[in-house]
Amino acid sequence: MPYHEFECSKVIPERKQHAVIKGAGEDLTSCLPKGYLNTIPGTISERGCAYCGAKHVIGTPMKDVIHISHGPVGCTYDTWQTKRYISDNNNFQLKYTFATDVKEKHIVFGAEKVLKQNIIEAFKAFPEIKRMTIYQTCATALIGDDIEAVAQEVMDEMPEVDIFVCNSPGFAGPSQSGGHHKINIAWLNQKVGTLEPKITSDYVINYVGEYNIQGDQEVMLDYFHRMGIQVLSTFTGNSSYDDLRGMHRAHLNVLECARSAEYICDELRARYGIPRLDIDGFGFEALGNSLKKVGLFFGIEDRAQAIIDEETAKWKPQLDWYKERLRDKKVCLWPGGSKLWHWAHAIQAEMGVKVVSVYTKFGHQGDMEKGISRCGEGALAIDDPNELENQEAMRMLKPDVIFTGKRPGEVAKKMRVPYLNAHAYHNGPYKGFEGWVRFARDIYNAIYSPIYQLSGLDISKDEIAADKGFVTRRMLSDAGLSDEIKSSPILTEYTGKYDSVTDLRAKTYPEFERKTAASAAE
Amino acid sequence: MTCDVKVKDRVGTINPIFTCQPAGAQFASIGIKDCIGIVHGGQGCVMFVRLLISQHLKESFEIASSSVHEDGAVFGACGRVEEGIDVLLARYPNIRVIPIITTCSTEVIGDDVDGVVTKLEEGLLKEKYADRDIQLLAIHTPSFVGSMVTGYDVAVRDFVKKFAKKGEPNDKINLITGWVNPGDVKELKHLLAEMDIDATVLFEIESFDSPMMPDGSAVSHGNTTIEDLADTANAKATIALNRYEGGKAAQYLEKTFDIPTIIGPTPIGIRNTDSFLHNLKALTGKPIPPSLVRERGVALDALTDLTHMFLADKKVAIYGNPDLVIGLAEFCLDLEMKPVLLLLGDDNASYVDDPRIKALRDNVDYGMEIITNADFWDLENRIKNEGLKLDLILGHSKGRFISIDYDIPMVRVGFPTYDRAGLYRHPVVGYGGAIWLVEQMANALFTDMEHKKNKEWLLNVW
Amino acid sequence: MDDATKLEQLMDYIMKNCLWQFNSRAKDRRKQNVGVLTKTTQLLCDEPVDNPTPLDKCYWVDAVCLAEAYRERYPWLATMDKTAIKTLMQKLHERLDWLTIDGSLNEELTVQHY
Repeated sequence: MPYHEFECSKVIPERKQHAVIKGAGEDLTSCLPKGYLNTIPGTISERGCAYCGAKHVIGTPMKDVIHISHGPVGCTYDTWQTKRYISDNNNFQLKYTFATDVKEKHIVFGAEKVLKQNIIEAFKAFPEIKRMTIYQTCATALIGDDIEAVAQEVMDEMPEVDIFVCNSPGFAGPSQSGGHHKINIAWLNQKVGTLEPKITSDYVINYVGEYNIQGDQEVMLDYFHRMGIQVLSTFTGNSSYDDLRGMHRAHLNVLECARSAEYICDELRARYGIPRLDIDGFGFEALGNSLKKVGLFFGIEDRAQAIIDEETAKWKPQLDWYKERLRDKKVCLWPGGSKLWHWAHAIQAEMGVKVVSVYTKFGHQGDMEKGISRCGEGALAIDDPNELENQEAMRMLKPDVIFTGKRPGEVAKKMRVPYLNAHAYHNGPYKGFEGWVRFARDIYNAIYSPIYQLSGLDISKDEIAADKGFVTRRMLSDAGLSDEIKSSPILTEYTGKYDSVTDLRAKTYPEFERKTAASAAE
Repeated sequence: MTCDVKVKDRVGTINPIFTCQPAGAQFASIGIKDCIGIVHGGQGCVMFVRLLISQHLKESFEIASSSVHEDGAVFGACGRVEEGIDVLLARYPNIRVIPIITTCSTEVIGDDVDGVVTKLEEGLLKEKYADRDIQLLAIHTPSFVGSMVTGYDVAVRDFVKKFAKKGEPNDKINLITGWVNPGDVKELKHLLAEMDIDATVLFEIESFDSPMMPDGSAVSHGNTTIEDLADTANAKATIALNRYEGGKAAQYLEKTFDIPTIIGPTPIGIRNTDSFLHNLKALTGKPIPPSLVRERGVALDALTDLTHMFLADKKVAIYGNPDLVIGLAEFCLDLEMKPVLLLLGDDNASYVDDPRIKALRDNVDYGMEIITNADFWDLENRIKNEGLKLDLILGHSKGRFISIDYDIPMVRVGFPTYDRAGLYRHPVVGYGGAIWLVEQMANALFTDMEHKKNKEWLLNVW
Repeated sequence: MDDATKLEQLMDYIMKNCLWQFNSRAKDRRKQNVGVLTKTTQLLCDEPVDNPTPLDKCYWVDAVCLAEAYRERYPWLATMDKTAIKTLMQKLHERLDWLTIDGSLNEELTVQHY
């Protein structure tokens, strides 16, 4: 096994099994780190908790819901306004968060009464909202509150409301991934099948494992709608609570982030016979193939092809403009989970960069299998990375840019490595054809920022180019390019708008004729 | 018309203004040099708090977790702390102090972290780290008690209690700043320098406004040393600027080492800064120098340009940490503004007895509401459903959508202020802070006049 | 070009571009591998493909894309007869089962529940 031992982790030998360097001839039977094991305390790991995995990652992107956490106020506050899961209903789920504010007396005497008061207060404050999710936290799990019983009591008293309960306290598992699992299964068991959806198309899908970060879901929905496909629900970005109760009626589950949402797809396949189709919304080729597959499933691949042709014609020259300028730039692809495999191959193939390292904060070995398969030889793969290992890796690999979270991005900044936000994006969305160009644009802007060049200059020792008043990105990026590329009439920089999503909300789509009168009357 | 103090009339929280105790203890811990705290609980209690502080400071810094998982929650997790401390010490050779910060989960399961400290002091530290001087302490910050404000207060006290040690008098004062920004510490140290007073500052977090260096070597961390903390016992006086953030530590020093102590006022605005200087003078016998008379004059000059023409009678809502909110309200009153709603975080029952609150109740001549244990719904509901009209909001970034959705200008102040650039760099205390605040408020109102076309032409001539 | 190189190329495409081989449990991986590769082989050999269930249809969808990509990228496929293609695809299937199931280091493959 090509394990990589970090100098800084020699004192914790078990860490050795959590990093590998993919060498020549290595494959998955010889090169795979351990994953999803209990965190070694004190390592300064980047992992979160199972509560945030359930509530913050999967629960709260649901847009028309009162999301209430049963516990002290901190869990709610700390996870509030730290992500960019927008929605088309004025971002209710981003703006409002609820905590039962459990205090010492509740810990001693129980907090069920205060929970019920909270539920009623919250519905009263927002009379237009009739749906609620309740998230258990460490404290209320340990005192053993029966949240389901309280929720049922309220539903009996207020028949117009519906409440979902997720028991995923922070300690339930090695990372946020434990919470992804718990909420998948809880939603399936409690809510799927409790509402019959209105079917309006011959082609009906659930779009699963998509959280509408900066509008990703809306971009993908645009494609599906252009194909005449009814998206019954999105699990869960920008989705309605009630839409997700009707998931059992889809013909196909289109799965994006398998890390966080494969469980519900696997169960829907086992229980309802709905196939699971894994797709990539990132990258021209992978996205094109994904749309084509969905089209093929329904026999409407021509509609998919039309979109691919149109979008590729429009955006490919812009993507290639960046590709010419990003060639061989070294990338540390250090996301939370799924992006390590969504991006690893696509950015190399389509943007010309080289992925020198992948890591996953909360992924399982299955994610590493995909990630390691998709990156090239020499890549360093790290499971459950920690602060010192990241710094050592950056010193060793000298990346030109890293894709990671906000706080680790600050660590990189100090080491003079530009970072892009892999979770929330810089200026996304990054899904879709246009989104992929936006991503390339952001990478370009990061790598060729004149500020990073300036920050490497030690004015006490180095020669100062006193004849220059400025440097542009182009002066840096085009220095080694051929004239042919520099003055190409085809390749252009990104031409889209700052906000590429809002306009989609006003779009209208062609009516596609349904196959039979009977199905049309459904 | 009077000033009413009320407790929030709902049991729950809709959009919290504050977070829980461990966050306060963590913020305190990063002010100490060679200190990495270990938070005993689930990983989210650290990961999100680091993110929160990092969003505010645009910096990173270390705090560890004991990573309590299911087995620990069931069978007890003291072993996780022991292992965590060993791992931290083995990998971070410069660490000198590790506070063990508890959370709701580990307080509920009843982990004896004080026992862990004793056990490790007698075992691990002697056996494996005998060549190093390592200090451990337990800080109890269950999340279901108090708030981040009390967590900070408790942590500062516990650090002082752990390290303060009677020795030779050091002729310094202890300055306990409370929960402030790097810019505040800079301003406070400037005032002390002008007064020619040597001080031990809890905490030296000016260093969080840190550079990017050509060799990529810069790091961000607080600079108060263990020796500084030890020496707090030998000061000739203590000033704690904030009653609720550091007050406990000041009281401890007063009681244990008989150190003359003044708690408050939060030196926000001219008057409170005057009081601060007066207190410094009283405690040290050092005169207030002409340079500060001039500096104060510069501030008054700036204020005068704005107060009666633009700020008078502007209705303001203020939320956040109690000392900050009270200090800002007092300053606004001096500026002829009308703070109409003060939202004080957490359920501290003693706010009502705060002399500053009493003074407001005795003297405010218009309708002012002070809500304790408040949440953002106390603000939004009044605007949305009860006809509250505001000209300005003062508070931290978590309230940003109220400002956005109801089109009310807002000046970001307090913690956290992640949705505006560089605010941690600027002071709100001292004369410099007074200038910064008044100009921020005025410019926010000006931008709003232009944005709403509300007498925007007024600024043609000014 | 020898068979080993051909096999490597076919495998490389799957590993870099496909996701269907990485379901989380061994039992599902086996079904996915059989489903997709059987149909891919049929398509490459111009044989009819029967899709009686939605699950079959889903395998077929991945198979169509895989077969197309193979034909486009690996012109040597066109020079092979059906028997040779079947033999090669059988080896590919065995190799994929080995990499993703039987030789896999992934300790979660045999977890009982999803």
